[in-house]
Amino acid sequence: MLEQQLVNALSLGCVYALFALGFTLVFGVLGVINLSHGAIFMIGAYAALQVVTKLAFPLWASLIAAFFVAGAFGLAIDYLVLKPLRQRNAPHLIPMIATIGLAIFFNSASQGIFGAENLRFPSDLVPDQQLHFWGVQISVLEVAIIALSFALMAGLLIVMRKTQLGRALRAIAESPKAAALLGINVEGLFYLTSFTAAALGGISGVLIALYSNAVFPLMGQPMLHKGIAVIILGGMGDIRGALIGGLFLGFAEVMSVAYIGSTMRDAVAFGLLFIVLLLRPQGMFGKVLERKA
Amino acid sequence: MTACTRVRTRALITALLAAGAVSSALAADIKIGAAEALSGPAGQYGQSIKNGFQLAVDELNANGGVKGNKIVIQFEDEAGKKEQAIDVFKKLIFQDKVLMVFGPTLSNSAQAADPIAQAAKVVAFGTSNTADGITSIGDYVFRNSVTEADVLPETLRVAIKHAKISKVAVLYGNDDVFTKSGYDAFKKALETLKVPVTTTETFAKGDVDFKAQLTKIKASGADAIVLSALIAEGAPIMVQARQLGMDLPIIGGNGMNSVKIFDLAKEKSDNLWVGSPWALGNQTKENQHFVVAYTQKYKSAPDQFGAQAYDAMNIVALALGKIKISGNLETDRKALRDALPTVAFTGATGAFKFRQAMGKDGKPAGYDAQQAAIVSVTKGGKYSIEK
Amino acid sequence: MEWFDNFWQIYSNLVLTIGINALLALSIWLTLSCGLLAMANAAFMGIGAYTASILTMNYGAPFPVALAAGIAAPTVVALVIGGPTLRLSGVYLAMATLGFGEVVRVMILNAESLTGGALGLNGIPQLTQWWHVIAALVITLLILWRLRRSRIGRAFEAIKEDAVAASLMGIAVNAHKMLAFALGAGIAGLAGALNAHLTFFIGPSEYGFDRGVDILTMTILGGTGGLTGPVLGALIVTLLPELLRNFRDFRTMMNGAILVLIVLFLPKGLWDPQRFKSWFKRGRK
Repeated sequence: MLEQQLVNALSLGCVYALFALGFTLVFGVLGVINLSHGAIFMIGAYAALQVVTKLAFPLWASLIAAFFVAGAFGLAIDYLVLKPLRQRNAPHLIPMIATIGLAIFFNSASQGIFGAENLRFPSDLVPDQQLHFWGVQISVLEVAIIALSFALMAGLLIVMRKTQLGRALRAIAESPKAAALLGINVEGLFYLTSFTAAALGGISGVLIALYSNAVFPLMGQPMLHKGIAVIILGGMGDIRGALIGGLFLGFAEVMSVAYIGSTMRDAVAFGLLFIVLLLRPQGMFGKVLERKA
Repeated sequence: MTACTRVRTRALITALLAAGAVSSALAADIKIGAAEALSGPAGQYGQSIKNGFQLAVDELNANGGVKGNKIVIQFEDEAGKKEQAIDVFKKLIFQDKVLMVFGPTLSNSAQAADPIAQAAKVVAFGTSNTADGITSIGDYVFRNSVTEADVLPETLRVAIKHAKISKVAVLYGNDDVFTKSGYDAFKKALETLKVPVTTTETFAKGDVDFKAQLTKIKASGADAIVLSALIAEGAPIMVQARQLGMDLPIIGGNGMNSVKIFDLAKEKSDNLWVGSPWALGNQTKENQHFVVAYTQKYKSAPDQFGAQAYDAMNIVALALGKIKISGNLETDRKALRDALPTVAFTGATGAFKFRQAMGKDGKPAGYDAQQAAIVSVTKGGKYSIEK
Repeated sequence: MEWFDNFWQIYSNLVLTIGINALLALSIWLTLSCGLLAMANAAFMGIGAYTASILTMNYGAPFPVALAAGIAAPTVVALVIGGPTLRLSGVYLAMATLGFGEVVRVMILNAESLTGGALGLNGIPQLTQWWHVIAALVITLLILWRLRRSRIGRAFEAIKEDAVAASLMGIAVNAHKMLAFALGAGIAGLAGALNAHLTFFIGPSEYGFDRGVDILTMTILGGTGGLTGPVLGALIVTLLPELLRNFRDFRTMMNGAILVLIVLFLPKGLWDPQRFKSWFKRGRK
């Protein structure tokens, strides 16, 4: 059983990491905890579902649709809500509260439009094949999720460390005013980050909707709660932290179910979270310093 | 005026007065309140319940109402929140002065709002409340939703007999009133039937991944999984279990009794055993009439919630037929309460009568449903009834 | 008088809930006035509610004792976790307190024999009278008003502006933060205990993220400038579902939209003494 549980932990951890990557990106660059990321995740899933059922497009097309639709929402949120708050130099808790309002709005709008029940992707489209090796079982979809999270992390890290764009983003993360003085197009990069983070959130929404066979208006909320735990564990704003934090949470959850008892699963996960906060509040990879203006 | 005209005028006036009297007697509408979750996450259940009520009311009124009086049902949304359930109950009872209140949808809301009705001496009739501590509130509280404690032993008995199960694993949602009380009922039933439990696992609402729990269950060597879940988690659980190679029977509680499982789990939905007083495929005359009427009116198949609401309305109509509506609200409300326990009715959910429950102080209190459960198993996208 | 009796029969629950929500909004206001965004007040409310209810239901304790315990329990917890948690600032504190809220919820779920677990506590005696709520609200308002005008209140403001500068000025920053945090927890606990004895039933799901968001909305909407703001916010947010009854699902949408619009256009909330002053000044011209 141990090998299978380790595989389970890996795939669950990457599910969490995939969500957390977009979430942490927004914090890292914009300095905002975007609590509407869960709603974006849900919007991506519904967009893909509509494309597949109403327009009868194939699955890969729906992923592209989710990417752009979610990204567009992210961009709109940034332009309409976050930007005015930036210009007003609002204390950083205010944008977080605004994103809470947006999440409520989008979640209930989607319930009003699509209904509260669970929908699912047409079963012939869901990649269902199982792989067996070394006595463990894993589905093709899980392999895709694992591969994608590692690939995304690697890709984002390369962009951050090795490219001009990455350097500009890191400068903004350090201090937006200084970056602007250096001639960096701060607003433009904010838009790009919001778009990309939301697009990633949308893709993760589709993949997880396929994985769990469920699309419903509040699907982003439990993921958001886990996402908060992941970025606290891994360090808010850090890309490696999103993946490592995700894996850590996945392992903690699966192992506590397997060897302690599933009733203790959430207690263990949040207990660990709390301990991390008390002993090392910046998480594994986070920086202690508050963001300078 | 001539004598002729006087007679004619008098006759006319008398006729008009008589017509007026008749029509005002006809116009004594019976006002009934229904507080259900029409929005929010429980909205899908509330909507089914509303459909069931409306169907019954329309049918009854088309057949002349109750002794010629039309039934008027007033729906209010309690959004699945206990504070709103309380507010809506108060509004219906004190402001709209209804004769009785149906609802609320969720057990939690019922535990908060039913005491209001009890104190006001107004019947509160739940069609979807299955938790403990509701009918024990008092003798004005009624429900026709059969509790898990009544259904599950029958489901287990039939499933074990047919599928030759010797030991089971239990999986339930530990953060939801419905799934948790389902688990409590399962646990008691398993103990009574002396079925060994290999392992007990839990999950939470909103979980998407159950492989950790399922892997542990697989390793424990159980022949079947006893599952207390709502469809939202139940469907992925079934799919993931099948994906892990576990084709064993899954014995579900009330939450799994919905045709949605076929849509959500497709070919992985086979071998699910559920018990309920209502089954879509039950071929009784009353049920088929209900199913056809519902499908025609709402363009989709009914579910258990709609069926129970439909039957509840008919039960109340029967009780109303036994009493005399005096126009005095207090007297009428009491008369309705006194007439209800005596009703016996066969509807979409089969033969029904009330059974009085015990209050917390040991004295007789509210009324539960006394109904037989039907056990079905899923096969090829349909429920087929097993005995 | 009959009109009033009738009104009270229908709306008593709503009115008392407004009062209780006002207490909750004030508890968050208190922490905000010290610059702390503590999202743990919903959890503190839950601790107060469960403590008080367990005492009245299982031990037959008299109501005042239960209320006192409902205030004391979350205050003690706040003192315990405050030490390490309040070292964090800004978003880290917000996240940590959110996480704490989840920890409390899970603990309530698992301590089944005491708290009833997921099934909650049912049949709580309805002991809350209207005067309890009024008294609690008035006393709390008095305490907070005096606090604001005292040295402690000024210290809070200084810390909110710039904690480092405040400590350099000799203000015991940590002690003041702890005071705000613990006092806020006590007020939230009182609200929880009163609410539990009003609605017969409590369950773990009522003290989670959604409740925290509701309370925050009330305070932000009403205005963080003074004491009137949170009370006004509580009034509006509690009444809104009743007023919007006809809008069904769109009710919650409106809640979300209102939050966003207030943040964008009325950053200090509805009750903003400064904005009113500037209106008057303009009027006088």
